[in-house]
Amino acid sequence: MFRNYIKIAFRNIRKNKLYSFINIGGLSLGLTACILIMFYVSHEHSFDKFHEDSDDIYTLRAKALFGGDTIFVQNFSAATGQMVQENSAFVDDNIRIFQEYKPLIIKRTGLEPKSFSEEGFFYTDPNYFNFFSFSLLKGNPETALKEPFSLLISEEMANKYFGDENPIGEILQVEKDSIYNYTVKGVIAETPSNSSIQHKFVASVSSLQKTKGNDGLFNSPIVRGGAFKTYFKINDATQIEKIAETTNRLSKEGNSESKDLFFLYPFTETHLKFSRNAGIGYLDVFPLIAGLILLLALINYMSLTTARASYRSKEIGIRKVNGASRKEIAFQFYIESTLFISLSFLLAGILSFLLKDFFFNLLDINIDTAFFLNQNFILTLALIFMVSILIAGMYPAMVMASFNPIENFKKKTRNDLGGGLVRKVCTTLQFIIAVILIIGGITIREQMSHLQNIDTGLNRSDILMISLEKSMGNNIPAFRKEVEKLPAVKGTSISGYPLYGGYDMFYASSENGEPMALPFISIDKNFFDVLELKWKLPPEDPFLPEQPKKLVINETAIEKFKLKNDPRGQNIEMAGAQFEVVGVVNDFHYSSLDSPINSLAMMVSKSNSSINKFNSGSLYVKYQKTSSLPALIKSIESSYVKFDAEKEFSYQFMDDAFNEMFKSEQRLAHIFNIFVVLTIIIAGLGLLGLATFSAQKRIKEIGIRKTLGASVFQITSSLSLDFLKIVLFAIIIAIPIAWLLARNWLENFVYRIDLNIWIFLMASFATMFVAVLTVSFQAFRAATSNPVKSLRTE
Amino acid sequence: MIKITDLEKYYKTEEVQTIALNKLSFEVKEGEFAAIMGPSGCGKSTLLNILGMLDDPDGGSYLFNGIEVAGYNERQRAKLRKHNIGFVFQSFNLIDELSVFENVELPLIYTGVKPAERKERVHEVLEKMQIMHRRKHFPQQLSGGQQQRVAVARAVVNNPKIILADEPTGNLDSSNGNEVMDLLTELNEAGTTIIMVTHSEHDAKFSHRIIRMLDGQKVTENVLV
Repeated sequence: MFRNYIKIAFRNIRKNKLYSFINIGGLSLGLTACILIMFYVSHEHSFDKFHEDSDDIYTLRAKALFGGDTIFVQNFSAATGQMVQENSAFVDDNIRIFQEYKPLIIKRTGLEPKSFSEEGFFYTDPNYFNFFSFSLLKGNPETALKEPFSLLISEEMANKYFGDENPIGEILQVEKDSIYNYTVKGVIAETPSNSSIQHKFVASVSSLQKTKGNDGLFNSPIVRGGAFKTYFKINDATQIEKIAETTNRLSKEGNSESKDLFFLYPFTETHLKFSRNAGIGYLDVFPLIAGLILLLALINYMSLTTARASYRSKEIGIRKVNGASRKEIAFQFYIESTLFISLSFLLAGILSFLLKDFFFNLLDINIDTAFFLNQNFILTLALIFMVSILIAGMYPAMVMASFNPIENFKKKTRNDLGGGLVRKVCTTLQFIIAVILIIGGITIREQMSHLQNIDTGLNRSDILMISLEKSMGNNIPAFRKEVEKLPAVKGTSISGYPLYGGYDMFYASSENGEPMALPFISIDKNFFDVLELKWKLPPEDPFLPEQPKKLVINETAIEKFKLKNDPRGQNIEMAGAQFEVVGVVNDFHYSSLDSPINSLAMMVSKSNSSINKFNSGSLYVKYQKTSSLPALIKSIESSYVKFDAEKEFSYQFMDDAFNEMFKSEQRLAHIFNIFVVLTIIIAGLGLLGLATFSAQKRIKEIGIRKTLGASVFQITSSLSLDFLKIVLFAIIIAIPIAWLLARNWLENFVYRIDLNIWIFLMASFATMFVAVLTVSFQAFRAATSNPVKSLRTE
Repeated sequence: MIKITDLEKYYKTEEVQTIALNKLSFEVKEGEFAAIMGPSGCGKSTLLNILGMLDDPDGGSYLFNGIEVAGYNERQRAKLRKHNIGFVFQSFNLIDELSVFENVELPLIYTGVKPAERKERVHEVLEKMQIMHRRKHFPQQLSGGQQQRVAVARAVVNNPKIILADEPTGNLDSSNGNEVMDLLTELNEAGTTIIMVTHSEHDAKFSHRIIRMLDGQKVTENVLV
């Protein structure tokens, strides 16, 4: 019986090519979207779960009060981990990780010297491989991190520096303030893409202790904030509150004035909770939308299958007359649905594999291909498969099985047997989803463009930011001079940070205000001109800001620190010293648009190199709009390498740095664009199928009408109107829903667009356009067919 | 074999109620070949559908082999039908997507016959109907006469006790029609009860008895043998 069902299903697929194409094509597209999205979402949810003891690992975090602001602390003193473990019976093990947050210059000496600027340099305790489940390909995991200046390198780095040679025992020079020789003690297997710890170099923590300027990191014997990420392995998950209490107690014992509030967070959840790339808010939305798209495709399938029911009614009748029970007929149609969905799944699998790189590039994410075999992902796929079969198979099976055989034989015309109303509801639902997604897509696009074009109080166009590392040292003025000589360069400025790339924070107070956190950047005097900042209260003497202990502040700082309307001459106490305010600039956005502009203090330095004495800095280059960028960048690079042979030349456009801040929104926008296109294609395909069916069903009617003198236009519009009414109805329902959803989403933004009526009009128009095109194409074909032929078929 | 007493069937539309069968009574004995005749709309097909347990009556009694089946639900009717009744239709009603062999095999699938036995029985009946050489063809590739022979083969493959034929020659030319009537006669001679609805006096003559109907009622009954 089974074979018979499969056979007839395959013959039906072959015989009805258009329907099969619409069904399998639509389902495959929906499933592909679903698979790729679930691939991404499962990957995000799988972070750090590959560690054997992942459920027992917790990271230490703290909330610290910094003036009126709460700051989340994620790094702690060197002593913290061990002290907590010694004082809590629920902690079995702890580990510290210190990550170099600036690239280091690493050099292989000897016959073939190679030097690179590298990120991902970690220092950690010897129990690294015991604590986490990273695997060491070469070397002894027990002893590899015991000695100072022991270094483990990733497989990729081993290949980069040593090629086919055995790196064990070889020396790598690491340049910080001085040059240190590290002995390679092992090679670590590449970290999976779902690891929040992405190491390339892992050095023993004892090396850090012996590195110049870092011994201070180990001096504090108390529990407090510091430089080390601290992880615990605990033996009783119900006791994490107790461990936090112990930590708080220890912190108070060390410093009775401490207001820090410590807490433990499950390691496997830290990525979603704290990583900037995770975009957790949208991670919940993606599966929902992927589910909607799949539902759309499944509705198409159901609705087309039942629409075709009348074509199958004779077959069902014959089967029933020959002894088939309702159950057997239902089973047959379930088998057919299963076959359709399996084929679509297969196609979707191939499509997903082919499109995955494009998709990941679009979203700017990196996922190991091996993740396709992840157990949870496969389970999710199996679930999608089962649910699809259940949903898509159920309704057609029910409709088909309930056919009355006599009715089927008696009816000479192909009437609508299979739930015309249900089909109308389905089509309406589809178009509601489509319109909501289209409105969503337009809203996101508009909001993104609003954010990108918002008046940030400065002119960020035509500015290149070139990173300056310590390795350039005293060569900075000379380099800058060369850059300034280039004809395309209008001006330069030096700052301690690239704009939107960070700032320092100081605890500051004025005579009138409460102490609070004050964002702070070191700049030179050109900063104001290059960024075209506007003075609210310029310094009385243009050279005044360059004097020691002087500050330029922004407007918000006046308000926050309760300064006079003209604060020039007033003092702000910062890091234990008094600084005089000598000028005020209009507010400008110097960091994320997630929150309103905060106060800012700028210290103007005379000397170029003093700015990046402690930090690496950035050279801002304002260029002529008309200049050839590749040529300019090339010229700057060729000067750069003359003055810094170690650190690779790297630059960023200020515009790009600004846009980078909306990465998760941009990701959402990209996914939404895909969704919108898919929705339109799938809903359009569904409508095409139904319109074709409707035209076929009414072919006799069309023939009679034509014989009686109806024009092609009259017939086309009479056929199209039914469908367009449905679409119009869907639009009317979708608009308020979409409006609510869009308004809620926009509330996440401090700077947001108003929901203009044209967004809704445009979405409605686009939907109507697709619908009219699809429906009238079929209707026109039917209307222009020869009536003699259609009447003869009866 | 079949005994109906005061059988009634109504069709209701929104405004009117049409009486299709009006207290109809007759009996068909085992091994008999009965023809039912009458003008269009007299209730012949409705009667055949009820006799074939495709439909249920609104009143009266229907004894099948001594069992009252008038109150049976769809599942019960389907069960009784698949073991006892074969159908032959005017429009053949073959499944276009299945080959000749597969069409004939269908009733055996639904009665749960094993594949090897199915093949044997289908071949046997196809030989008998002289369409063995066409077994791999699809219905559209056959002439009307051949299609009806396939339909008859399908009706008898399960060895039903009774065959209900609804104008079996209605779509055939006379020579093909005669062939089909000869087939039915052979089956009847071999012991199968046959009830045939027909417009054709010529075909009716192949039967033992003609029941004539008008407006849902029996008008006359002529015994031919």
